[in-house]
Amino acid sequence: MKRSEPRFWQSREKAGKPTQTGIVFFPAFDWAISPTHPEREERLLYTRDQLFEEGIMDLPQIREYQPRLAELKDIARVHFCVPSIEAQITEAHLVAAGGALVIADALMNGEVRNGFALVRPPGHHSMRVTHGNRGFCNINNEPIMIEYLRKKYGIKRIAIVDTDVHHGDGTQDIYWHDPDVLFISFHQDGRTLYPGSGFTDEIGGPLALGTTLNVPLPPGTTDTGINFVLEELVLPVLEKFQPELVVNSAGQDNHYTDPLANMRFSARGYAVLNERLAPDIAVLEGGYSVETALPYVNLGILMAMAGIDYSNLYEPDYQADKFRESSDRMRVLERIVRELTTVFDNREALVAAAREKHDQFARRYRRIFYDTDYIHEEQQENLRMCPDCPGYWTIDSQALHQVGERYQVYCISVPVQGCPRCHKDAVELYEKMIAAPDRRFDFVYLQDRVDDVYRQFDVTRKQERVL
Amino acid sequence: MLVGIDVGGTFTDGVLLAEGEVINSVKQPTDEENLKESILAVLDELIKGTDPTRIKRVVLSTTLVTNLLATGKGERTALVLIPGPGLNLQHLDLAPNSYTVEGAVDFRGRVISSIKRTQVAEVGKDIAGHGIRKVAVVGKFSQRNNSLEAEAREILMEQYPHFEVFLGSEVSGQLNFLRRAVTTYYTAMTRSTWDRFAREIQEALVQRGIGTGCDILKADGGTMPLEVSVKYPCETVFSGPAASAMGAYALTMDKRTSVVVDIGGTTSDLALILEGKPLYASKGAVIDGKYTHVRAFAVRSVALGGDSTVRWNGSEVVIGPDREGVAACFGGPRATPTDAFNLLEGGKLGRLDLSQAALERVAGEARLPVEELARQVVEKVVELLETNVKDMFKSWEQEPAYRVWEIVNRRKVSLDRAIGIGAAAEAFIPTLARRLGCEAFIHRYSPVANALGAGVARPTLSIVLHADTQRQTYSLDIGGVSGTIGSRVQLEDVKKLAREHLEQLANDRGIGHYARQSEFFLEEQFNVIRGWSTVGKLFDVGIQIAPGVIDEFKGVK
Repeated sequence: MKRSEPRFWQSREKAGKPTQTGIVFFPAFDWAISPTHPEREERLLYTRDQLFEEGIMDLPQIREYQPRLAELKDIARVHFCVPSIEAQITEAHLVAAGGALVIADALMNGEVRNGFALVRPPGHHSMRVTHGNRGFCNINNEPIMIEYLRKKYGIKRIAIVDTDVHHGDGTQDIYWHDPDVLFISFHQDGRTLYPGSGFTDEIGGPLALGTTLNVPLPPGTTDTGINFVLEELVLPVLEKFQPELVVNSAGQDNHYTDPLANMRFSARGYAVLNERLAPDIAVLEGGYSVETALPYVNLGILMAMAGIDYSNLYEPDYQADKFRESSDRMRVLERIVRELTTVFDNREALVAAAREKHDQFARRYRRIFYDTDYIHEEQQENLRMCPDCPGYWTIDSQALHQVGERYQVYCISVPVQGCPRCHKDAVELYEKMIAAPDRRFDFVYLQDRVDDVYRQFDVTRKQERVL
Repeated sequence: MLVGIDVGGTFTDGVLLAEGEVINSVKQPTDEENLKESILAVLDELIKGTDPTRIKRVVLSTTLVTNLLATGKGERTALVLIPGPGLNLQHLDLAPNSYTVEGAVDFRGRVISSIKRTQVAEVGKDIAGHGIRKVAVVGKFSQRNNSLEAEAREILMEQYPHFEVFLGSEVSGQLNFLRRAVTTYYTAMTRSTWDRFAREIQEALVQRGIGTGCDILKADGGTMPLEVSVKYPCETVFSGPAASAMGAYALTMDKRTSVVVDIGGTTSDLALILEGKPLYASKGAVIDGKYTHVRAFAVRSVALGGDSTVRWNGSEVVIGPDREGVAACFGGPRATPTDAFNLLEGGKLGRLDLSQAALERVAGEARLPVEELARQVVEKVVELLETNVKDMFKSWEQEPAYRVWEIVNRRKVSLDRAIGIGAAAEAFIPTLARRLGCEAFIHRYSPVANALGAGVARPTLSIVLHADTQRQTYSLDIGGVSGTIGSRVQLEDVKKLAREHLEQLANDRGIGHYARQSEFFLEEQFNVIRGWSTVGKLFDVGIQIAPGVIDEFKGVK
């Protein structure tokens, strides 16, 4: 034998840097929300057929990894799970989140130049406090990965671009107060689709204004419109923000065949988007056109990330000029791009104005509905308007389940950039609350990102769990 | 009585076996240019004085196809691809005479665009113009629907009846179009040569009064009858390491976890037996730098053997990768790892004085006492083997898995044993086993274990049946077999159908009685949901006669 390594592909990479694209393919063939639910065993079956028949894993540009189980602490770094982490997850969730962690490690260890966690179940509708399943999600894979990257590798500035057709409200909520994580979501206008949020005036908490940007796309938007948003808004903003890593929250339900939405994006469009965006890590989110979109879109994303020519990739019924972008939609998009560019460019002034407006604490009251598990949650949030850091915050959350179960919890969180004073005050507040517990609360939580310690106090049993 | 013959790169080994005892064994140099003669010379030597009618089985493991492909001496072949959407094949360097034609099938086996008759005819004209007669036609997802491949063959044969056309769906239906293309292409390239070789061997056996026919060892450690092998010549590649692994299994015959270490002259081959089952390479065999669909054992070749040359590079001992001849203790020109061991063991293997002299030449350069040098050589060999064994386990543990339970129940095994195969096994295995923290196993038949393994390996056969109740079709991943099924069939029905097909194929191959020992290795079913209701089911059922030993072999005495 002349050579032991397959060599039938001409690589175009320069030597020295890692040249491969990592992939974790985890279709969870033995997990479903329910037998006929869109989030079911069959979801990535045809994607598997397409990827494996294509032989793409054999190419030298691709390196396949096996997922692992995420640890409970990885989840506690992001979520307040009620009543416990175990109650909110199945093993499948740990594997999906763990798949993203494997890709993160491979990237940081210099084994790959970028990576795609093609995993399910998805997560981008899961918020900081999680009482149950919202929009098919229990825990949020990207923030779990990002907080892990921050903890283990000291990464500070990260940008998330959420290309799922549904507003990434969970990820938005988790980074609402974080000025170092830029969250950009484009999605079908919330007036026409779940979860009914993600409007242009949602731009982040008072100390992180302008680092959340939402682009509500008019129904029917095509490749042309989405790529216009990418070129005119997303790429310039990323250029100014200068993140250390770019993460694509890669939902695939903007596709023209998706049964749950009304967009007209194509596999080619997704490939172009990923080539231009050049994310360091992509994590699969939604996408429920299991036969007509996912096999082709997933292949397109992987090819684009690996620098493989995708000129021969198209859906069976694809016609290049099938969809035309209307001038009405383009006008809407132009207006949104102008508005959000202004918001982002003026973010420091916006924060300064917010400081003037609020005194010591900024308060927010919210209602959150869990569609899958039918839970009504009410939140009262307090953010300390700290002059030295993004501020610690507290959430008083009450949730009423369909079956009549009711939980009330109190959550305290110190951000990863927390100053010594915020850190000290937050820990003292927690200690005080568990020394003389308020009977209204079932649990009190402390999420201490500075010391990477996560405490949960069970008020009824007077027991503490530390992760 | 059984005959097992294993053709290696350096030597051809043969054993004659009766009642679990080796009655005779032969070792002769291999003539790469004339494998048939090498085989027959060994055979004749083996059966000298034996009544040929008492020989009930002859098994060959041969490097013929491996060599053909490695030296590029296969017959000129054209590759016609029907890829449809996906990778752009312009970047592929698959074969010198490659053509891409229109037409596409999707993952459900639906034709999404058809063949263009004029285009295929054009391609045929070009192939004929180049004086090529062998054509491999391979379509993406042809295992789910081979009608486009068949149509292309028809168009080609109509115009050029002298073409011999091979279809991808008949060679291998596992998912992976590129590997299918390569495997089909290699099959076409080697078919005639293998055919001729098979006929000659057949005749030679008849001349010698051996009436049992002959079986060929495959890369997966199983055998197939010579007449079947004509259809699947590629399956015969890399049968050497398979013979060693089967030999190791034949010597132990238990459910323990072992590493098989076959130390040859220039290379050492490592294979794993996990809880009594030899481990397959997850990606199929790599032939001439390309992945194929040939099922092969996961074998790792280390460029270091008992006869590798030992040198001093100015700062440390270097071993191999070259071999200048046999070890010094057998009259060879240079110091080798075998000599280092021979010296430390006081001449256990060969002439101590010759080992001493050869090693002293190197030790002088290194300014080391000769025993110290010998120790360093043995240390280096063992270290390299150890690293590779650990690496093999690690890569097996890290193979991707696609189900939750596979990840949760992470596979972990502990190594029980290192089995030494080949003449030099005795020299290094005990030390290696100590380092790996496991037992050393060396048998008096270790030097001929590969030929023994070939002789007692049983036939193997593996099929995967894919069924689609919505489309009411099913297809096998072998031989291009397909058919129709009802829309209400359940997993049990599909399993029954798969078993019937396996039995049918086994009967066709004359190995019907082994079908009783078949096992299901894959059972997948998916509901096809459209809207909120089930419109069909997809099944993938795999059933196989796994590698093992023939019924009449009960272990060595």
